[in-house]
Amino acid sequence: MKDYLISMFIDDELDLDEKIEFVETVHGDARVKDETVGLLNQEKWLREDLMPRMAPLPMPAPRRRRLDLGIGMARWWRSPLAGFAAALVLIAAVWGLHPKAPAAVEKPYRFVLFNPTARQIQLVGSFTQWVPVPMQPSGASGYWSLTVDLPAGEHRYSFVVGDGRQMPDPTVLSREKDDFGGENSIIRIDEAV
Amino acid sequence: MRQLYEAHRHRLLGYLLRRTGDPSLAADLTQEAFARYLERYADREPSAALLFVIGRNLLYDHARRKAAYNDFQEEDHADGKDPESQFLARDECRRLLCALQRIEAEERDLLALATSSGLSYKEIAEMTGNSLANVKVKVHRARIKLRNILDVGVS
Repeated sequence: MKDYLISMFIDDELDLDEKIEFVETVHGDARVKDETVGLLNQEKWLREDLMPRMAPLPMPAPRRRRLDLGIGMARWWRSPLAGFAAALVLIAAVWGLHPKAPAAVEKPYRFVLFNPTARQIQLVGSFTQWVPVPMQPSGASGYWSLTVDLPAGEHRYSFVVGDGRQMPDPTVLSREKDDFGGENSIIRIDEAV
Repeated sequence: MRQLYEAHRHRLLGYLLRRTGDPSLAADLTQEAFARYLERYADREPSAALLFVIGRNLLYDHARRKAAYNDFQEEDHADGKDPESQFLARDECRRLLCALQRIEAEERDLLALATSSGLSYKEIAEMTGNSLANVKVKVHRARIKLRNILDVGVS
């Protein structure tokens, strides 16, 4: 089976013959099954990470009266002031916050690490007072995750793999060395808009 | 037009966010894409593919302006960091978006379209000038590369 059939399966692009081939392969080949489940879990993250934050506040819809004005509507939209105001609403929509809502004290932040071979992964950071907190495996996908409510500001953390090997978050580029020869990742949680 | 707006505003924003890794820029480009669509194509049959073509073109225009600006900056302030590294180092760049920015641009584009746009592979192929077979291969290759970037911590 061509490997890209996995992506075609994820994106609902398989025709009937390809579906037969895919199901038979997944049934008989554990490697393909594991890879498919792993990529499906990744896809959940890829699709879910952003969209729920956009949902609470609808973006401004064009008004019917304005639409009837045709080109005039377009010019109104593109005026600097209107553009700026709309951009503010859009940015608020991205982060799932109402512009007039009071600033949230803490925001949920999801920590994720892919490590299919580990028996245990723990999260340790400034927000846990450097006490290790176990992360939860996502089925047999190899992904471990933990969601923590974090206040705005800068936070340092790393992962503790298995029996104690400490490692920074491979997906975060901002890091600093700690006093014990290891490295911590650094994230910043912005204030609510 | 309202239906197109309601149906695709989040999709276009999601696509541009995954392409750029920058929420503010993605929001600006989304707004501009709808404005241009209204300005030039409001009388046509609504087309999601056309909307995404406009959004993509705006993105490329922005990238070209940014590249020209960065070239100028580097002549004056060569500090050894390429624009991509500076971009990735920004605090507000979220982790998954950062990982996406490390995939080669064309593959990131195709994966973002497959994930966010709701367009079929065939429509994506027509929009991007790829063959359908190429889209299949490149979308999957991008997914594997993303997994490998997130997979650095495997012991």
